[in-house]
Amino acid sequence: MLKVLKTLCVGALAVSATASAAHAEWPKDRPIEIVVAFAPGGSTDVMARAMQPFLEKELGAKTVIVNKPGASGEIAYTYLSQAKPDGYTFSFINTPGYLSMQVQRKLRYDPKSIQAVARIVDDPTAFVVKSDSSIKSVKDLVEQAKAKPGSVSVGSSGVGTDDHLAMILLEQAAGVTLTHVPFPGAGETRTALLGGHITTGGLNVSEFAGGDLTTIRPLVTFGDKRSPEAPDVPTAKEQGFEVFMSSERGLAARRDVPADIRAKFSAAVKKVVESPEFKEEAKKLALPLAYLSGEEWEQQMPKRLQSFQDIWNKTPWVQ
Amino acid sequence: MEFLDSLILGFSTAATPTNLLFCLIGALLGTLIGVLPGIGPTATLAILLPITFFLPPLAALIMLAGIFYGAQYGGSTTAILVNLPGEASSVVTALDGYQMAKQGRAGAALAIAALGSFFAGTVSTIGLAIAGPTLAGFALSFGPAEYFSLTIFGLLCATVLASGSVIKAIGMIGIGLLLGWVGTDVNSGSERLTFGAVELFDGIEFVVIAVGLFGISEIIVNLESPESRGLIASKITRLWPTREDFRQAWPAVIRGTALGTFLGILPGGGATLSAFSAYTLEKKVSRQPQQFGRGAIQGVAGPEAANNAGAQSSFIPLLTLGIPSNAVMAMLLGAMTIHGITPGPSVMHNQPDLFWGLIASMWIGNLMLLVINLPLIGLWVKLLTVPYRLLYPAILLFCCVGVYSVSNRAFDVALAVGFGFLGYLFRKAKCEPGPLLLGFVLGPLLETNLRRAMLISQGSPSVFIERPISLALLIASAALFVLLLVPAIRKTREEAFVEEEV
Repeated sequence: MLKVLKTLCVGALAVSATASAAHAEWPKDRPIEIVVAFAPGGSTDVMARAMQPFLEKELGAKTVIVNKPGASGEIAYTYLSQAKPDGYTFSFINTPGYLSMQVQRKLRYDPKSIQAVARIVDDPTAFVVKSDSSIKSVKDLVEQAKAKPGSVSVGSSGVGTDDHLAMILLEQAAGVTLTHVPFPGAGETRTALLGGHITTGGLNVSEFAGGDLTTIRPLVTFGDKRSPEAPDVPTAKEQGFEVFMSSERGLAARRDVPADIRAKFSAAVKKVVESPEFKEEAKKLALPLAYLSGEEWEQQMPKRLQSFQDIWNKTPWVQ
Repeated sequence: MEFLDSLILGFSTAATPTNLLFCLIGALLGTLIGVLPGIGPTATLAILLPITFFLPPLAALIMLAGIFYGAQYGGSTTAILVNLPGEASSVVTALDGYQMAKQGRAGAALAIAALGSFFAGTVSTIGLAIAGPTLAGFALSFGPAEYFSLTIFGLLCATVLASGSVIKAIGMIGIGLLLGWVGTDVNSGSERLTFGAVELFDGIEFVVIAVGLFGISEIIVNLESPESRGLIASKITRLWPTREDFRQAWPAVIRGTALGTFLGILPGGGATLSAFSAYTLEKKVSRQPQQFGRGAIQGVAGPEAANNAGAQSSFIPLLTLGIPSNAVMAMLLGAMTIHGITPGPSVMHNQPDLFWGLIASMWIGNLMLLVINLPLIGLWVKLLTVPYRLLYPAILLFCCVGVYSVSNRAFDVALAVGFGFLGYLFRKAKCEPGPLLLGFVLGPLLETNLRRAMLISQGSPSVFIERPISLALLIASAALFVLLLVPAIRKTREEAFVEEEV
C-alpha cells in the first residue's frame, strides 16, 4: 500500500514537473486558442482562417480558431477577460465596435483587463452606389440630401457600426439629414443597393476592392489618405468633408499575460503580415494590411474613444 | 442550345477523377453532418476552409458545395427516424415523416425523401443552367416592400400548417413571433426581452428552439409511456414505397421542386422558407388535408423536394451576382475569394469551366447521394430496432453537442432543455410546434422589412400598393384570407366532430 502511495507521489511530482517545464516552453504546451467574435464566414473569420497556417508556422505551434459570436463581440471579449492569463488564449478585436461599445453600454467585462497585441488590418469605410446612379461624388450626395431632406437613404451593416458612425459624422460635417437603413450585414446592404432600394451603401474597402466593379461604383472612402487597394476613389477629406472612419482588426490578450509572451506573439504576427506568401493571400481578399504593435495601436485608442464619446453625446445612436 | 454546350463543358470539367473524388468526399461528409443534428454545414465549412488552400479551386468548391447539399439529404434522415430536425429546413419533414416511421413506413419515407430530393436537384440544376442569370436579376427587384407582402402571405399560410384547431395555431404563431422579438432590434439597436442576458443580445438560435421543441420533448413523451416507446411501436412492414405511395408523392415532388427553385433564388429565402411553403401548398391542394400530421407521404415528398431545390438554387444569386443568400453561401463566398475567384457576373464569362463545372458537379453529387443513401435506408431503419434505453441517451448527447456547437455556448444547451420542457407542455395541451417555428422565422422578417420599407418611403404606407409585385402578393393574401376564413372554421369543426365520434 505504501509502495503504491509512493509511486503515486513520485508520479504526481513528475507530472507537475513536466507541466511547469512545458509552461516555460510557451507555445508548445497545447494549441493556442484564437477567438473570433463573429460567425464563420464573416470577413474577420475568413481572414483568421487565411492567417492560421502562416501563424502556426511562425509560432511553431498549433492554433484553434473558436467562433464566439454575439452582442457585437462582447461575448468573445468577456470570454477573453475570463481566460487563464497563460498565453494560450487570444482574441480578435474589431474597431470601432470594440471602442464604441464602451461608450454605448455598461459592459460585462472591464475593457482595461484586455490589451491589444497587434493590429493587422486598417480597412477604411466607404460609400458605394449602383453603377448607373446619377450621384457621382459625395458632393452630389450631400446636395441631393439638401434639396430633398430624407430622400438619401444610407444602408449600413447595423446600428453603431463604422458605416453608421461615418454617416452620422458626414451628417454633422455637411449639415444634412440622411435616412439610415440598417441591415444585418454587408451582404444584405449590397443586395439592397443592387436592387435599387437604397441610394448608397456603407461598405469597407476590402468588401468591394477585390470584387466585381461592374455593378457598383465606390463614391468615397473615409480614410485619412487614398487606399492602396482602391487608389481611384477619392477620400472625403479631398472633397471637403473632414470625416474619418475605418474598421481595424487585430489581436488582443489579457493584460496580465506575461509581457514576453505577448511580445513573441506580436512579433510572429508581424512576420506573417510581412511575408510575401501571406501578402499574396491578403491581396486576393483585398485586405488593407497595416501592422501595428500592441503598444502603438493602444496609443491611438483614447483619441478614437473620445471622438465616439463626442458623437454619442450629440447623437446617441441607441435610444 | 447554348446552355447545352455549357453543360457539356461543365460535365467534362467535373468528371475528372480528382473532382469526382472531392465531390464524393463532400457528399459523404455532408450526409454525416446532416445526420448529426446541430453540427451544421456552416461550421463544417469553416473548419475545412484552411485545408482547401492546398486544393485546386474547383475541387475545393465542389467539395464545399457537396457538404452543403449532402447535409440537406442527411438532415431529413434524423427528422424522419427520431423526430429531430437537424436543419431548419427539415422541420416540416419531421411533421409527417416521423409519423410515417411510427407506422412502420420509415423506409418509404426515407426513399421518397431521397428520390424527391434527387429529382428536385436535377431540375434545379438545369434551371440554374438555363435561367440562372435572368432569375437572379428578377430576385433583386424584391425590396423591403415585396418581402413584407411575401411574409404576410407566408404567415397567413402558416395557419394551414396545423392539423388541429385554428385558434391554437394562431396562438402558437403568436408565441413564435414573441420569441422572434428577443434580441437587439436591428433598427434602433436597443435590446428587447433579453433580461440583461448578454447571450440573448442576438436573439435565440433557431436550432436551439427546434431541437428543444421537437427532439428533447419527443424524448420526454416517449419516456413517459414505457410500453409504446415511440420508435418501435409497430413492425417495419417494408422498406420500399408502395405503388400507391409513388402515385401520391410524385405530384407533390413536382410542386415542391417548382416552389423551392423559385424561393431559393430570393436573397434570404432559401431552403427553410421553401420547405414550409411546400408543406402548406400540399395541405391546401390535398383532398384529405386531415391526413397531414398523421403520416401523409405528400407532407414528406413536397417539402423535401422543395428544400433541396431551394438549397440548389440559392447558388444562383451567389454565382451570378456575388450575393450570399445565407450563412453557408457567405462561407462559400469566402472560400472563393481565398482562391482568387470573384463571384459575380464576370465569373461566367471569365471562368466558364469553373462556373459550369461547379453546376455539373452538383448534379453528379446528387446522383452520388442517391446511390449512397438508397442502400443505406435498410441500415437506418434497423437503427429503430435499437432499444430505446440505449438510443435516447445517444440522441440527447447529439442534441447537446449540436446545440453547443452553434455558438460554442453552454447557455444555449440549457435553453434548449428549457424549450424541451415547454414543448412537452405544448404536446399535453395539443398545441403543435410547427406554426410556432414559422412565426419565429417569419416574425423578424416581417418586422424589419415593414420598418425598412417605411424608412425608405419616409413614412408613406402607399409603397406597399404602388409596387406591382408587392400589390400582387397582398391581393393573393387577401384572397387566401377570404378562402381560409369560412371553410377553415367549418372544416375544423367537422374534424373535431369526427374525433369525438371515434
